[in-house]
Amino acid sequence: MEQNETKLKIKVDKLDLYYGDFQALKAVDMDIHENKVTALIGPSGCGKSTFIRTLNRMNDLIDSVKIEGNITYDGTDIYRGYDVIELRKKIGMVFQKPNPFPMSVYDNVAYGPRTHGIKNKAQLDEIVERSLKGAALWEEIKDRLHRPALGISGGQQQRLCIARVLAVEPDVVLMDEPTSALDPISTSRIEDLIDELKMNYTIVIVTHNMQQAGRISDSTSFFFEGVVIETGPTEEIFFNPRNKKTEDYISGRFG
Amino acid sequence: MIISEHTKKTKRQEKIAKGFIWSFVVLTIVILAWIVLYVLFRGFYFRNEVSYDVTNIKEQQIVLNEEIEPVVFIVHPKVRVKDLTSEDLSTIFTKKRKEKWGPYTRQDLRVETFILQGGTDFTDSVIDFLEGPEQEINKYATTVPDIDSMLKKVASTRGAIGFVPASALENTDFKVKIAPIRRISAVVHPSVKEIVNNIQMQELSTDELERIYRGEIKNWKEVGGIDLPVKPVLPPDDVPYSVIKSNLLPEGEFGPEVVHADSFDDFCSVMKETPGAVGLCFYTDVLEKGEELSIEEIGRVESGMNLTIHYLIEAPARSGAWGGISTIIINTFFLIIFTLIFSTPIGVLGAIYLVEYAKQGRMVKILRLGTETLAGIPSIVFGLFGSIFFVNMLGLGIGFISATLTVTMMILPTIIRTTEEALKSVPDSFREGSLALGATKLQTIRRVVIPAASPGILTGIILAVGRTVGETAVLIYTLGSNYELVRGPSSSARVLSLHLYNMFAEAISFDRTFATGAILIFIVLLVNYSTTRMIGRMNKMAGN
Repeated sequence: MEQNETKLKIKVDKLDLYYGDFQALKAVDMDIHENKVTALIGPSGCGKSTFIRTLNRMNDLIDSVKIEGNITYDGTDIYRGYDVIELRKKIGMVFQKPNPFPMSVYDNVAYGPRTHGIKNKAQLDEIVERSLKGAALWEEIKDRLHRPALGISGGQQQRLCIARVLAVEPDVVLMDEPTSALDPISTSRIEDLIDELKMNYTIVIVTHNMQQAGRISDSTSFFFEGVVIETGPTEEIFFNPRNKKTEDYISGRFG
Repeated sequence: MIISEHTKKTKRQEKIAKGFIWSFVVLTIVILAWIVLYVLFRGFYFRNEVSYDVTNIKEQQIVLNEEIEPVVFIVHPKVRVKDLTSEDLSTIFTKKRKEKWGPYTRQDLRVETFILQGGTDFTDSVIDFLEGPEQEINKYATTVPDIDSMLKKVASTRGAIGFVPASALENTDFKVKIAPIRRISAVVHPSVKEIVNNIQMQELSTDELERIYRGEIKNWKEVGGIDLPVKPVLPPDDVPYSVIKSNLLPEGEFGPEVVHADSFDDFCSVMKETPGAVGLCFYTDVLEKGEELSIEEIGRVESGMNLTIHYLIEAPARSGAWGGISTIIINTFFLIIFTLIFSTPIGVLGAIYLVEYAKQGRMVKILRLGTETLAGIPSIVFGLFGSIFFVNMLGLGIGFISATLTVTMMILPTIIRTTEEALKSVPDSFREGSLALGATKLQTIRRVVIPAASPGILTGIILAVGRTVGETAVLIYTLGSNYELVRGPSSSARVLSLHLYNMFAEAISFDRTFATGAILIFIVLLVNYSTTRMIGRMNKMAGN
């Protein structure tokens, strides 16, 4: 598949990120293309989670973080050209551990639209149904919409979190190890879901699981000690890595 | 079984430790349960020994002499009178000022006395009986023309007391209550009351009196007196004295030593001349004969329900000795509500600032240390501060507003601390999840963090309510001790804990002090139970 066919969604240019004095990301360059799944792999502490959190400015929450370099989303700088609220509406995020709010399933999904000012009940109902269907959860959960969200299973909770993100109608969905806390069956469901989601959304996913990256992603970037060692189409990275470190990591020699 | 020496030893130590822990726990629980149950028991049930000049023999119908019908004293049904002594009756009808029912029934209710039109033998005899040798019927008594209007008046006037012939009650529709009268006194020869070897005869019980007349007690030392033979004497058989005999021992099983007097004069002379003599006569006779007959006090046990519905719904009177505690309960709830209105917003918002907004540096650390210290300061210090600052410097005076503000100061640290803990215990993933959806910080706090922390916040508020309900030291100097309903911001008032303190300090009534304590325990139980239910329901809604 030729990458040039698709539009460039997010462009990261010479990104340096510091936690106080510690430099966590070093001159990271990356292109993220529309309607593709981009996987970020690498050993623990390599900076891939830090990187994905800069894409929707979640690192703003940490006082000591300092960022240099440019990230553009649809050609606009996300730090200087976007209000953080607007940016996060466009670039949603799913976290490592399912984090549904302690309220009902319905209220969880409706939380985003409500926060953004939608009050009409019929409209909310429609959004909730569409989002849950989009996250492949509707059939399982449609009779339990008003039950507490913390009472459903872990896999369902994670899909609920995805539905919650979809309800805001984002453009890009960031996923930070979305299946690391789930059992294999739930994991495969989420993977199937990601495959469907890429029709409409651009997806960036951090994963520890090499097979997962291989199964679901179109392009892969390998992070090591804050540096992007290698980036390219997934098949190339997995079957024909150019860098020795990438090969070692993929073949399980470290990490 | 395979077990090494060392394992055996460890297991033995563990058993001993478990035994210690278990016994301490049981001891603590037993002590705590005992305290609560004791206060509740004393609050519900009272039992006192009271001495009277008259025996416990109650007469519904009183035979005054041969010529007239027996008289019955009737009261309005709301008067909670169990029985009255003839002395009480005489006080009620003849005292110069208007009496209240308080001394007899603990009711804050005026006595309305009714007497029948004079001129008939019946009325004159009853008035004679009421007036005794010296007093006169007071000017407050209302005269009614006939028996029917007497019944009507007594049935319809609150606090009414009157009298009718016994036959009038047989076929009447008017709802009146009969007040049984106690008018029989026990008298003794002065020798019985002498002090010998540091022993003096104290009161007798009704039971002991009966046993004396049955001949079962032969010497005064058997009932706590000196070594002197008992000589029981009975008044003559003619009316009205015959009722004494029949009321004391209806079966007539008098002992062989009992002396039966032929006439009342005979009775008096026997009583005067026989050392160790004990006799029975009417209290009015004692008043007439003066020193010839010396009264032996009769003790009786008075017991019953302490914490009645009346105690809850009546307003207090006479420093709480009469009436109930309704106004005080309402004052307590007012204090709780207004304290919460002041302290909850400030405390919760302050905690939100400290946890969510403030930069976690040295300043926050100092603030936190400050609130922690304030939470532990003895409340009397807050009372001192309140009485100087709010009462004097700001000139608010002793009253509801000063007390509310001082208690607010006192419970703020508690609310801040617990709310802070509750907010901190909300996982950051909730905040991240909300922010990542494009919610602002305020939206996140309002719609995710606070709902998730609300059980904890509520716990803090309940702790604060508990402190408010139980607070006394602060309120002594800021709230005063007026037991009426609080009327405005500057009106002095009294809450349950203060009422308890005042009744105990002024020795007004132990029974009522305990009843108030029981109510306090109930309020705290109620508050705790309903909060537990509420928190449970909140957690269930959240799915925890």
